[in-house]
Amino acid sequence: MLSRRSFLNRASAGAAGLTAATLVRSRLREQVAFAAEMGIAPEDAINLANNENSLGPGPEVMDALDGLLGPEGTIAGRYPFRFLGPVTEAIAEKMGVEPDNVLVGAGSTQILVNVTHQYASAEKALVGSLPTYEECFGYAALMGYRTKAVPLTPEFKMDLDQTLHACRGSGMLFYCNPNNPVATLVDPAEGRDFLGRALDTEKNLRILVDEAYIDYVTTPGHETMIPMALADPRVIVARTFSKAYGMAGLRIGYAVAHKDTIAHLREFHMGNSVSTPSLVAANAAIERDRANPDFLPAEKKRNAEARDFILKFFRDRGYSATDAQTNFIFTDVGMPVEQFQSACAAEGVRVGRPFPPLWTRCRISIGTMDEMQRAAKAFAAVLDSAQKMAA
Amino acid sequence: MKSNRRRFLSLAGGAPALSPATAHAIGARGREAMEAANGFRAAPVFVPPPEADEIRISSNENPLGPGAAAVAALRGAYGSIMRYPMNAATSGTDLRRRLGEMYGGGPENVVLAPGSSEILRNAVRVYTGKDRPLVTAECSYESPKRAAEYFGAPVKAVPNTGSLGLDLDKMAGAAMGAGLVFLCNPNNPTGTVHSLADVTDFVEFVKKESPYTAILLDEAYYDYVTDDSFDTGAGLAMKHRDVFVGRTFSKAFGMAGLRVGYAYGQKDTIAKLAPLALTFGTSVLSIAAAMGSIEDPEYLRNEVKRNEEARKFTLDFFSGHGLDPVPSQTNFVFVDIGRSARSFREACAEHGVIVGRDFPPYENSHARISIGTLEEMQRATAVFAEVLGLATTDNQQ
Repeated sequence: MLSRRSFLNRASAGAAGLTAATLVRSRLREQVAFAAEMGIAPEDAINLANNENSLGPGPEVMDALDGLLGPEGTIAGRYPFRFLGPVTEAIAEKMGVEPDNVLVGAGSTQILVNVTHQYASAEKALVGSLPTYEECFGYAALMGYRTKAVPLTPEFKMDLDQTLHACRGSGMLFYCNPNNPVATLVDPAEGRDFLGRALDTEKNLRILVDEAYIDYVTTPGHETMIPMALADPRVIVARTFSKAYGMAGLRIGYAVAHKDTIAHLREFHMGNSVSTPSLVAANAAIERDRANPDFLPAEKKRNAEARDFILKFFRDRGYSATDAQTNFIFTDVGMPVEQFQSACAAEGVRVGRPFPPLWTRCRISIGTMDEMQRAAKAFAAVLDSAQKMAA
Repeated sequence: MKSNRRRFLSLAGGAPALSPATAHAIGARGREAMEAANGFRAAPVFVPPPEADEIRISSNENPLGPGAAAVAALRGAYGSIMRYPMNAATSGTDLRRRLGEMYGGGPENVVLAPGSSEILRNAVRVYTGKDRPLVTAECSYESPKRAAEYFGAPVKAVPNTGSLGLDLDKMAGAAMGAGLVFLCNPNNPTGTVHSLADVTDFVEFVKKESPYTAILLDEAYYDYVTDDSFDTGAGLAMKHRDVFVGRTFSKAFGMAGLRVGYAYGQKDTIAKLAPLALTFGTSVLSIAAAMGSIEDPEYLRNEVKRNEEARKFTLDFFSGHGLDPVPSQTNFVFVDIGRSARSFREACAEHGVIVGRDFPPYENSHARISIGTLEEMQRATAVFAEVLGLATTDNQQ
């Protein structure tokens, strides 16, 4: 099993003349501005604010991408459309569906906006939990669509009964599971039952199941809703290469749905938004999954270990954190998030912003174990200092 | 298990292999490329594998791709691949700031898009409506027209002049009370250009007589213009509310595959377009490559010169055979071939030369041919001569 860290550490990438130094310098440069602002050494800055995978996509993907560009990068002069079909087919094959069940987008963002545009309106509400990932609600607000935001349960899980109620007469349910930013998962059996009841209750409802974090779920019995999407044109599953695949910067994601639904989404879709390198990288990642079925399970395990470590850190100190099923945790920090955020920044660690209305809970992304161990020291300093102030 | 990798590698060589899924999913400028390759409009068809020496002069691409500085900058951004664009070493804001600087503005004067297609569509979404028509030319880039039709706004398509330029006087008349004027200058597919003085008169007149009408100056082919009377309308965009310039890195910068375009205008104008822009639509590699290309003006100078030479060769070929090409200021030529574009296209394709699609209302007389390398144009014109029966010059029909 190849270490993904070798992406950053290997001495040379061969034909492309890449050096580890180039990669590391480039990687660190992103943190320089932040570090300078905070008066710390750039290499000590840790970004745990945006649920990225700090290990990147891995050497197989980088080799494919770099090899395609070749020394001159000539292919970048041609429109990407020739690559879209093969990637669509590769995704379909991986997911066990047909190409006309798949729509590739510039990140799952493009999918989320598209579905909201097609199925919510000023009359037909968008339903989702409060809080949840904001893209759909943001677009709905921009367009003046009706929205219904359903508060979470005391365990920070989706309130299925209230959500079901809100779905009556509504156009679209945004079902982000696991849910960003709270990291919780709906119980697998209850979730399936709920989705079925929602569709029975409101026959015009469309359900967008956002599975951005599914590769990080460790709850036994949790499954993708792709089979439900294939069987029922009203269900759409969104996926991304931004999380476990480490390609947030390449902007590629996709929808899986019934072919009639995909055809409807295509009417609004800007189909030429994903760059050639991004398409090639996604294709290479899928090929690696085929060649190395251990890749994703290993990434899940790595993330779970770092997640367990940081969850234990907070819980040992008496802070309640949710049952995280993602590459981030959501924990009480005993102070306003903005205060915690700036105190952590001063220690060289960026953590998530506030997610109203949960003002004293912080979303902290999972980096490498090394990053989490260093971050824990920063968190300890911040929390200890706050306790002393309070005492 | 079929080897997807092998399929991919073969594609890198230049094969237009379209699946039905692809064909449906193509939008706007990609659609143009797809249709050109297919010879059909929006029809989901498979394209046969190309000959190894196929010449693709159908989508107004730069055959050489990006310059070395851009490619180096792209590679330099590999370490940011795992980061969202706001966290990348070169962020979208960095690029917007740099682009803004080029025109004497700031990041607030620029909105990025994954290709300028999104700019065109969002302009239509923001400024047109049931009672606010889109004004465009009858023969111009169709993407705004298609967007207006999709979103339910009326379209006033003003016939081109006899020399196939934009009829600025009639377009100004049509602009009264309109939502948006789409002014493609240089114009695709005719290759014509209007001087900054004429564009200034047009904008000043429209903004005076119809102050709420927005104007999109699409300058996708700006860099290829060699006519000294032409210049960017960026100054007009800075002066007038709801006047803005659309640009792309897909043409002279050689980055059609990287999907970077932008609009430039007053802060308040950009603030209307920006909310509809796709969040993080442009990849970190593309942002870095665009940034790198800006710092390499020599590449651009060389590319413009290279294109001008190949363009002159191509134009001379047609005029030398008594045909009447429109004087081109772009990286394509539009020429009256006296027969349907389709029959010409199909005949050329049989010889491994892929030329542009139909451009109504001239689809029965004119072909659009992109400018490849000089060597490609030498080979392509030999095919044109054969297909059009021009080889023996004393026997023209």
